[in-house]
Amino acid sequence: MSHSKPDTVSAVLARGRLGIPSVVFFVIAAAAPLTVVAGGATTGYAVTGVTGIPVSYLVVAAVLALFAVGYVAMSRRIVNAGAFYTYVTRGLGRPAGVGAAMIALLAYNAMQIGLYGGAGAVTAQFLNDRYGWHLTWWACALAVWAIVAALGVARIDLNGRVLAVVLVAECVVALTFDAIMVTHPANGTVSFDTLAPSHVFAAGIGAALVTAITGFVGFEGTVVFSEETKDPRRTIARATYIAVAVTGLLYGLSAWAMSVATGPDHIVEAARTDGTDLIFNLVSPYLSQSVITVARILFITSLFAALLSFHHTVARYLFALGRERVLPAVFGRTSRRTGAPKVGSLAQSGLALSVLAGYALAGADPIVHLFFWITVTGGLGVLILMTITSAAVIGYFARIGHTEGTWRTLIAPGAATIALAGILTATLREFATLLGIAPDSPLRWTFPTAYALVALLGITWALLLRTTHPDVYAAIGLGAHRDTGPLRTPDTAHQPT
Amino acid sequence: MNTTPPGAADDYVPHLREHRAPVEPVRPVRAVGSAAAPPMRLADEFFYLAHDDQSGRPRLFESATAHGLAAALLAELWWEGRITFVGRHVRVTDPSPPTDWLQHLVLDRLAAEPRHTATRTWLAFFGTTAYEQVATRMWQVGLVQPRQVGRLWRQRIVYVPADMNTAAWSWARLSYQLRNYQRLNAFDVALAGLALHTQLDPILLDGAPQAARAFLRRQVEQAPMPLRELLADLGAVVGGAVLSHRTT
Repeated sequence: MSHSKPDTVSAVLARGRLGIPSVVFFVIAAAAPLTVVAGGATTGYAVTGVTGIPVSYLVVAAVLALFAVGYVAMSRRIVNAGAFYTYVTRGLGRPAGVGAAMIALLAYNAMQIGLYGGAGAVTAQFLNDRYGWHLTWWACALAVWAIVAALGVARIDLNGRVLAVVLVAECVVALTFDAIMVTHPANGTVSFDTLAPSHVFAAGIGAALVTAITGFVGFEGTVVFSEETKDPRRTIARATYIAVAVTGLLYGLSAWAMSVATGPDHIVEAARTDGTDLIFNLVSPYLSQSVITVARILFITSLFAALLSFHHTVARYLFALGRERVLPAVFGRTSRRTGAPKVGSLAQSGLALSVLAGYALAGADPIVHLFFWITVTGGLGVLILMTITSAAVIGYFARIGHTEGTWRTLIAPGAATIALAGILTATLREFATLLGIAPDSPLRWTFPTAYALVALLGITWALLLRTTHPDVYAAIGLGAHRDTGPLRTPDTAHQPT
Repeated sequence: MNTTPPGAADDYVPHLREHRAPVEPVRPVRAVGSAAAPPMRLADEFFYLAHDDQSGRPRLFESATAHGLAAALLAELWWEGRITFVGRHVRVTDPSPPTDWLQHLVLDRLAAEPRHTATRTWLAFFGTTAYEQVATRMWQVGLVQPRQVGRLWRQRIVYVPADMNTAAWSWARLSYQLRNYQRLNAFDVALAGLALHTQLDPILLDGAPQAARAFLRRQVEQAPMPLRELLADLGAVVGGAVLSHRTT
């Protein structure tokens, strides 16, 4: 009979909790479908010269689904907004955790800052074509930067309902375009060449795979919401699989449809000529101009949603690390009036501004050198993080008592680790192809080395903390759950030693 | 048939006469530096601290104020010896009703739902209602007055302090004592702890040297164990609110 008693507390706290659709919308917003379809896939074709982009999206979706098995299994036990960083700490120890945190900071910053290149160039082109203005890409990028910086400090993000409308519109546009492109194939035949599995073993596939992974970055954010969902055990797992499946199919289909419309032999050439305009140019003969305009605006809004989402991600990462005193405590401060992680937000905006200024002064190409190079470098960072996290899942479940099956705790994470490590190896071997530079260019090592350096820095810092500030070291990986100050000893029962 | 039966009128009317609307308290006359006249309750003081003493506008973001007030209400009950904090859990030690209606309400809720013991859960739960409840309690004794502000589409109620000096008193007292490195009494330690863990401390120590901040931390760290437990959970809840914020 005691079960008939109403549980007012749970009922009140359940109000405003998230369901599966909200979580899916939040994470797909960061993945920005139209940005990936119109920007990522086309630039991927153009820069890498690899025609296997469509099959890469599908292969990566499969690998990420495998990765998600262990990842969400761990999210059921560790309810924490820190995600990768926390999981690596719990699975592989604190030094590895701080190393992962540094990689994450660099990777998400790279994702965010790279997107400014796309946003600036696409917005400038749109306005110039439409109104005959002569705006430069960096002027538009700075305008977008100013908006993102202001919204970041004011702690304003895109409302779930707005995101839902924009995302559904984006998907409708992408699917409509796909249908038109597939029904108007080059030479009158629909070719499945670019979907052939043989591409997976062809040269340049590493570059194509990491381009694909870059398109998915953001999906790993589902677990961050676990504390705020109606049913953390189910909601997160389903939202993650749905996000991977929806984006994977959409990306694969769209990239393939483009290759159908141009013919598989001409897709690289067409992408190099038209750039991010390719998809719009391919469908414009068959659609009214106003539809194309709406689609171009949605392309810009999708870039903006992703920019804002990654900005908040970085600011919150800095905040969590500041609270744990892994970074200077000043990062743990919030704006008194808005509760925004002020210092983290300003630091991110400052970094973005200086990179934008550097690119503008150097006169570099915003799409190839900023949008593509820097976001795929971000994608590489997330790939490294996922590989480490996969291994951490195995480590975590090996050291705790649990009732999960071996599929979730060993087989799937093990297979995901091997697959991700394989992609990582192929990527590093073909990084020159990825950047579209000569194989002996020193640039190919610059970006991967940056990750090695920050990881090393993180590990060293953690080891230093162990000797100099044992209390800070003990609390690493607790995120916002860290008990503030020396009020009481942290709960380290579930921490690896 | 429209006449009211005499008996019924007699029952009802005296109640109307007896129940007076809350009035503004007589402005306390006191020398500079003396304490406020009526004994203050922790949640009321924190409410004052978290709002501008003249306009009543918030000084702190909404979720931090809400959780801070919830923690203040729990701290009042701990003060009264009704509950205590053991580790990360609230324990009801004495369910006998407190005299204050709001404390009574909070205690009854704690006692009625024994399946929830985590302090964080209770902070989140009381955080949903604490603001209105504390404001109502303060209005009843004439400490604040509701006032509608804002344009048509952004109308909202702010609670304007009835007396600016009473409202500013806790801020002035804490700020002065901390800047002069004077030991705080037990009540002020609790209040300063609430401010510290809701990130409200910059308003107390605006322009003060780092040493004053360190002094504040040391004072709070020497608080009794149960209070420290509560404050640690408050800090975690406020940090979590920052991380999981979304615009609605």
